[in-house]
Amino acid sequence: MSEKKFEPVIVGFFCNWCTSAAADLAGTSRLHYPPNIRPIRVMCSSTVDPVYMIRALQEGADATILGGCHPGDCHYITGNYKARRRIAIVKTVLRSLGFDEDRVLLEWISGSEGPKFARVMNEYTEYIRNKGPSDFKYLDSLGGEEIE
Amino acid sequence: MSENDMLKKFMKDAFEKGLIEAVMAPAATKDSYTYALITKKEDVDKLTPIAPVMQWNGADMLRRITRLKKSERKLLAILRPCESRTYKELVKFNQINPENIIVLSYDCPGTIHARTFKYEPTTAEELLGEIKKGGKSNKIREACKVCEYPTPIPNVGDIGLGLVNTDEPVFFALSEKGRKFLADMGIQEGTRDADAWVEEHRKRREEWYEKERIRGGRKGLEDFLSSCLNCHNCKNMCPICFCKECFFEDRTVFDYESSKFFNWADDKDGIRLPTDKALFHIGRLIHMGTSCIGCGLCQQACPMDIPLYRLFGIVGNELQKVFNYKPGVNDDIPPVMDFREDELHEFEGLFGGEE
Ligand code: SF4
Ligand code: SF4
Ligand code: SF4
Ligand code: FES
Repeated sequence: MSEKKFEPVIVGFFCNWCTSAAADLAGTSRLHYPPNIRPIRVMCSSTVDPVYMIRALQEGADATILGGCHPGDCHYITGNYKARRRIAIVKTVLRSLGFDEDRVLLEWISGSEGPKFARVMNEYTEYIRNKGPSDFKYLDSLGGEEIE
Repeated sequence: MSENDMLKKFMKDAFEKGLIEAVMAPAATKDSYTYALITKKEDVDKLTPIAPVMQWNGADMLRRITRLKKSERKLLAILRPCESRTYKELVKFNQINPENIIVLSYDCPGTIHARTFKYEPTTAEELLGEIKKGGKSNKIREACKVCEYPTPIPNVGDIGLGLVNTDEPVFFALSEKGRKFLADMGIQEGTRDADAWVEEHRKRREEWYEKERIRGGRKGLEDFLSSCLNCHNCKNMCPICFCKECFFEDRTVFDYESSKFFNWADDKDGIRLPTDKALFHIGRLIHMGTSCIGCGLCQQACPMDIPLYRLFGIVGNELQKVFNYKPGVNDDIPPVMDFREDELHEFEGLFGGEE
């Protein structure tokens, strides 16, 4: 009867010093966050060239998240400011070509913000679930729907 | 005296006065124009300072000359306005050492696509004839027709040569260095009115943004790139893509086991080979789009005639608007080298702004 609901795959690039710790904290505090999130631990939000986020989308992720320390709190002092510029760049490139920029998300989540981590992951997963699958993975393929 | 003869006389005088020890400028070859470096007054006549073809970006040549060490000799470089903006941009990226270099730039009549020129040659004089009357030839490249800064601008390079709307070319200083140089040459600075001429370019540019921008996401980009050979010529000719080791040439990233190819083909209902073609162009936009200078050499380099400048020029403009940045026109730091603590909040969180 009811169709199986679409379950998005969301790749998270999470800073070791904050968002990754928040994910652990959410886990130990028994706060639920969805299994749709596939975390990758990085040493700082600034180590992620957005080309890797694009690659994740092309590999079939429906969305990607970059999680870093709050402004002023980066372990390497200014890494997250540079990361924010890069996110601004990738989102602008996507938007101006007519892709969905909302499939790239930047969030500041500190190591003590387990509840925020759980809330953001739940909300974003729900948001992407409602949007439906990304067609980005079909870029340079023979598949996907013809879209006008 | 033609503009080119006048510039050659300028060079000879500068050699004689000991103000320069070398010149970098275009020189004619059988089918095109190369950049040439000369160190003797006697070699000046081999040059065509204002050439109808831009086979390379001259700033890229200056980068090669000063890559390891500053210029050992006093070098006069003749650059088109887009090349002198590239020069400025590459100085900011520490790719060119400007010491000992004097840049002279001129009101640009545009250049012919290098391949078109090979089969239907033209002269600089023909192109110059149009701008003296305040117009522009319609044979020139797309990037030249919609050029945002077709004239020398203050503090970009050192000496300007005005050619628009004037029968007699006029020299003017763009920097202190240039002012001193002209004074030492005994040349009176002059003026010409190029404002309306520049304005026409910008109007064409605005219309071009609207008309030619690539829309429609996946389909739009795939169609735009459908004949791309993945040869990377566009990157190789791009003066802003100066990385010693380009990410997109890294075999450790882009070599895959066969299972990967098959899984993709399963998952995506067939894949196009070679892979990572669109990724290369999107990646290049991400890496250097904020500093795209608008020389259009990517487009000229494309063996498949993909109008790449529509991708880089138009998306580049969107990127530059985000950072309120104009590459190569002033001393602002390139966006990828800089940040503010309080900015870009609209890109944080899902709907802009963070708690
Ligand atoms: S992307 Fe094209 S137009 Fe822009 S700087 Fe590079 S070669 Fe020139
Ligand atoms: S594409 Fe990126 S890595 Fe390659 S040369 Fe250009 S800026 Fe450098
Ligand atoms: S030069 Fe043309 S064919 Fe070669 S990679 Fe660039 S767009 Fe593709
Ligand atoms: S260390 Fe967490 S963002 Fe830099």
